[in-house]
Amino acid sequence: MRRSRKDINRPLLILLLGIAVLLPLVVRSNQYTLVLLTTILLYGVLATAWNIIGGLAGQLDLAAGAYLGLGAFTTGTLLIRWNVSPWLGMVLGGLVAIGFALLVGYPLFRFGVKEVWYALSSAALVEVLRVAFLIWNQVGGPVERYLPYHEWSLYHLRFATYLPFFYIMLGLLVLALLIHHWIRQSKLGYYLMALGENEEAAEVLGVNTQKCKLQALSIYAFLVGVTGGIYACMYGFIHPNFFSGPMSTEVAILGIVGGMGITYGPVMAAILLVSVREFLRANLGGQLEGLYLVVYATVLILIALFRPQGLGPLLRQAYDRLLARVAKE
Amino acid sequence: MTETFLQNLINGALTGCIYALIALGLSLIFGVMNVVNFAHGDFVMLSMYLTFWIGVWAGMDAFITPLITFPALFLIGLLAYNALIDRTLRQKYVTQIAVTVGLMTFLRALAQLIWKAQPRALPYSLIQGSIQIGPYTILASRLVSAVVSVLAIAGVYLFLSRTWAGRAIRAASDDLDAASLLGIPYRQTYALAFGLGSALTAIAGGLLMTFQQVDPTMGVRFGLLSWCVLAMAGLGSIPGLLISGIIVGAAEAIGMSFWDPRARSLIVYLLFILVLWLRPRGLFGRK
Repeated sequence: MRRSRKDINRPLLILLLGIAVLLPLVVRSNQYTLVLLTTILLYGVLATAWNIIGGLAGQLDLAAGAYLGLGAFTTGTLLIRWNVSPWLGMVLGGLVAIGFALLVGYPLFRFGVKEVWYALSSAALVEVLRVAFLIWNQVGGPVERYLPYHEWSLYHLRFATYLPFFYIMLGLLVLALLIHHWIRQSKLGYYLMALGENEEAAEVLGVNTQKCKLQALSIYAFLVGVTGGIYACMYGFIHPNFFSGPMSTEVAILGIVGGMGITYGPVMAAILLVSVREFLRANLGGQLEGLYLVVYATVLILIALFRPQGLGPLLRQAYDRLLARVAKE
Repeated sequence: MTETFLQNLINGALTGCIYALIALGLSLIFGVMNVVNFAHGDFVMLSMYLTFWIGVWAGMDAFITPLITFPALFLIGLLAYNALIDRTLRQKYVTQIAVTVGLMTFLRALAQLIWKAQPRALPYSLIQGSIQIGPYTILASRLVSAVVSVLAIAGVYLFLSRTWAGRAIRAASDDLDAASLLGIPYRQTYALAFGLGSALTAIAGGLLMTFQQVDPTMGVRFGLLSWCVLAMAGLGSIPGLLISGIIVGAAEAIGMSFWDPRARSLIVYLLFILVLWLRPRGLFGRK
């Protein structure tokens, strides 16, 4: 059974990836559907990255928007001012995000800010950065700053279609999943899961919890920062509202709903919930502003109330049952 | 320079009393049942909209509307407790946050649905005019708001220390097991604390509507603001809450006039982060 499970897992993943790669062919040049698919992937990447600090290490981080914005502004500003390619810019953006994460994370973990207070202070950071960039006229300011337009330029990462962004985001998602998978099975992953379960106990057993949390935070910040760089190129402008509180909370919600720490959970949650949200927005948004969010929030509350472990375990059960049936036949 | 500074200090401190009242409601909820409520600020927003509604339909002054909104918010609080919070008590705090974030999104979207996104404000309140003390002007509506807030806070203090139900709330917050052994029913006590905590936002909402407008994003601002006041005060000290509220209000007003009007939330959140780093128990906390 164990062997057969592994034998089935890998081809299945490759099959799913194949379907994802071919998906744009089905929708052809329908830009709306492409944006939707890319947005789902974007949230998938963010939630998977969050799953490292939130799911494994149990730190309820609500600052995804901060790292996303930093990545976007680094990439965008470098491109607008000095014509630096976003390929380099997004890596630098990720590094800036790491720098900021360390700057903030060190004192937070050093002074033992935990649980709800960690969540709230990270939420506050997003707003601090948003206002700071709104005031900082040289880089931010209240007006959108547009990236140079190119019909098709790989160097500038600017395209007239969303198709390349779909594939870039898909690649990033695979990378994020691999990183999460790899961390989960590494020493760091076990340390993180231990401290996520019970921090004092992990500390007594000799885990350097501060260091582990900082490492997890850095990896998360880097991934989100890189995503921010692509985000800026995809939308073609940068604005302080990229430091978005609601988006940060949504990323955390996807991680929780997906099942904390389960590798594929957040992606599943992103596929499910972002599609539901966009479907509701497309169908209800036109008539009544806010109605789709009322329905969406109700779905969230119901999942959180009746499936507190998230959708991940549910999915795993269904998958196991399917495998058992296949093995029997 | 000094005059502007002191003028802002006075205005900010008066607004800060309302912040303290909001934070007191949150403190009842978080301190008593350890529930992380992210939707508290949205109850404030809801109260402000209800005040607006009553003001427009019945022509009632915002200072008097709490007579109606207080019981209404108490009932809404009870409903939220029984439908949502009670089920999350035995769950991890992450689940509580997920549920209350859901509630927050729900209330915000509901407000957008009913009242649309544009800001709403009431015509001027009955209480008009200002008092002149030397070079300083104090608006009567702000002064009355601050006085009403302090009175409401004092009322809660008396309720908690003098009545059986109030003592039950305090006992449950100190030691739930011991309180249960003494025959204090925890569910009723928790529901009461949650209802009262929510109802306090009704008074604050009415007072706020006397001098400012409301829009659906207001909830997030008041949510984080009240957590900031609570973090600074620490749990278990009502005078501490009042002082922290005044500090936050004053810092906000001074920062806005001396740095940048847009820096309002920046100052509050920086203060919040600093307090968490340097004094996680709060300035006056006993826990």
